[in-house]
Amino acid sequence: MPAIELKNITKTFEEGKVLAVDDISLKINEGDYIFLLGPSGCGKTTTLRMIAGLEIPTQGRVFIDDKDIEGIPPEDRDMGFIFQQFEIFENMTIWQNVTFGLEMRGYPDNYIINKAEETLKLVGLLEYADNYPNIFGEPGLQKLGIARAIAAGAKILIMDEPLGSLDPKVSKVFRHEFRNLIKDLRLTAIQVTHNQEQAMAVADKIIVMRAGKILQMGTPYELYENPQSIFVANFLGETNFLQGFVLKLFEEEKMEVWIRLGGPRIICNNPNNKFKLDDNIIIGFRFEDVYIFPKDFNFDKSPHDWSHIQIFSAKLESSKFIGATKRFYLSLESGDKFISIKPGNFEENYQIGDELIIGIHRGDVHVFESPKDFLHEISLM
Amino acid sequence: MVNIKLENISKSFNKQTALDNISLEIKDKEYFIILGPTGVGKTTLLKIIAGLIKPDSGFVFYDEKDMTKKSPGERNLGFMFENYALFPHMNIYDNIAYSARVHAHDPVKTHSVVEQILLMTLLTGRNEALPEEMSGGMKQRVALCRALLNLEQTKLLILDEPLKALDAGLRMSLRNELLQMAKSKLLELTVIHVTNEEEEAMFLADRIAIINHGKLIQIGTPYEIYYQPKTLFIANFMSEINYFEGICVKNEKVPWDIYKKSKYGDKFFAKIQKYSMPLPIDIGLNNIFASYTQKELYDEINHGDEVMLVIRANHMKLRLGNRINEKHNAIIGKIKRRKYMGMFYRFEVIININDQDKLLVATIPSTSKIHDTFVEGVEVTIYFPKELGIIFRHPGEDAIRDVLKLE
Repeated sequence: MPAIELKNITKTFEEGKVLAVDDISLKINEGDYIFLLGPSGCGKTTTLRMIAGLEIPTQGRVFIDDKDIEGIPPEDRDMGFIFQQFEIFENMTIWQNVTFGLEMRGYPDNYIINKAEETLKLVGLLEYADNYPNIFGEPGLQKLGIARAIAAGAKILIMDEPLGSLDPKVSKVFRHEFRNLIKDLRLTAIQVTHNQEQAMAVADKIIVMRAGKILQMGTPYELYENPQSIFVANFLGETNFLQGFVLKLFEEEKMEVWIRLGGPRIICNNPNNKFKLDDNIIIGFRFEDVYIFPKDFNFDKSPHDWSHIQIFSAKLESSKFIGATKRFYLSLESGDKFISIKPGNFEENYQIGDELIIGIHRGDVHVFESPKDFLHEISLM
Repeated sequence: MVNIKLENISKSFNKQTALDNISLEIKDKEYFIILGPTGVGKTTLLKIIAGLIKPDSGFVFYDEKDMTKKSPGERNLGFMFENYALFPHMNIYDNIAYSARVHAHDPVKTHSVVEQILLMTLLTGRNEALPEEMSGGMKQRVALCRALLNLEQTKLLILDEPLKALDAGLRMSLRNELLQMAKSKLLELTVIHVTNEEEEAMFLADRIAIINHGKLIQIGTPYEIYYQPKTLFIANFMSEINYFEGICVKNEKVPWDIYKKSKYGDKFFAKIQKYSMPLPIDIGLNNIFASYTQKELYDEINHGDEVMLVIRANHMKLRLGNRINEKHNAIIGKIKRRKYMGMFYRFEVIININDQDKLLVATIPSTSKIHDTFVEGVEVTIYFPKELGIIFRHPGEDAIRDVLKLE
């Protein structure tokens, strides 16, 4: 049973002049931590607000636990809201911050005490119960926000960039703790972000949106290993793109493509024999999927199995150490440029200008139809 | 051509120390990053360099000339701050040409320079757009162009968190462009850039200065900062870390041959420091870990001293089952959680050390083999090469909590 389901949701603003969300349908399973991801203005926040009941769809229906929730106000949807600005009462203790909402709803005292104790313990803040929120930095406040939401009975968390105002360093560490807490509490969570690195690090599933539509939806693994469009390949992770055309078709859904201007020929998968002879295509391959070997590398003597690797030569233009990773900037004879990423302590003695052997596994090459405007497809502006 | 030198700069606001006796030098054509968390004095330092704030004490030199009391106008530099401050009623071209016109530069020359800079920043053909029609990325480029135009002779560009307001993806592509522009033969800029993002700093900088609580803590190349951080704060700031506390057992025989340098270690350390010494640390329960450390630190630490061994999460490695061997520092644990992050998997591994559970974090490049076999609940050996541990004198429990606490 999906916790949340959207059926053919459309939302327009300004009497239909602005189309914010364009006929989307999706299902969110109970206990999943979902990210709505996309560039500014893609419709992700509007979608979140419709799930929360803060915005009414122009068309379509929203279901929670298979119940159509049209007309049910946000406060009665069993949802907790966690936003960047904390709705925390500064003049109340941590304990009072949790009990206040329960008292307002008229629960008996012993229920309130048990509930507050239980939830503060769950989020690890019970020892701070008598303190005021000003002892916390933002991570502590966000935990308090979760405690309040679950004390009030929320099963679904609605979150708009909850870690957006944190120092980047703090956010990178805290997001894992935040995720673990939400998973351990078995909450369903929906979060909006434009930060794809954050989404990859935290989400169970990501919904990538662009111009009011869902481009692709799946686990981070599915999206990263099998992007269905140039936009998704470019938006999640870092991808090299080269233009070419289909030179030969083989059996078993394989084909050979030729990178333009006399570049290398590469064999790649052709699922469902989608591409035909002479089709113009774009190939994409992740920076980290590019292997580099010295010019005299002997593949037969290597302990590893390189039988599925395709090789061609390229020139090393420059390299750059950035801590966890090291980047190699490479160029083909045609002038096309691409990048390889290796671990930061990767051992090599390459010099600028060296001719190197480049290797790519067939399965790591993604092929896309050549779009009318390639620059538009990879533009993030 | 500009060399900048700061000597003993201090500054307080309302008796609160913002900067405490900072001295540093920025070389001509250097991309210099000032890095640190929010609110530690980075922007104040930048404003003192630019002349927007006067220091309480200390000196600012541009090419040996004392500029401490000179106004920003006399310093001949280009600024760009986080909010772009574009004129809303002017189009792209006029926004960029404005300051050049105000300063009464030759109009023909102004035109050609503006055109050239527009071309470099991919804005040609959009000259007529007004700020309200521009995306964040475009506004950022226009603001950058305008800053570049102010540079006449000094070619000093000052950037205060220039990429902060942008979407993550756009930030990546703009920082690439920024670096290319700074290093282009046409401009050859000296750039001083403030940021709180360690990745941005590592990507852009020739050298990084790390500031915390108004003090300069370390200054060095990205390589030095990453592999030879001077304090736990810096080690932790540059990536996710693990640490062990232990006792140095310098004079004792250790159970395995850690004194012999591995070939790998030799090569690795040749890059950052010629002399590095293996230092064994007793972390309890007959576990002796070792790591190479710089000679000066080695000499400072005595047998029996309390020390701390820090290992970056991305330097940890995993193997299935019990694969302890003496080449590496290794310990057995169980995968508690695993999260796929794209280029990496992040593992949380539970180990038992001195009868207490301890969580270690390892980020490992993703492969299909890891996907299928390194699953939650499985027993693994977590290990790291001796070359990659970072040793500090133990800073005390309070200092550790201060650096690592999140609440």
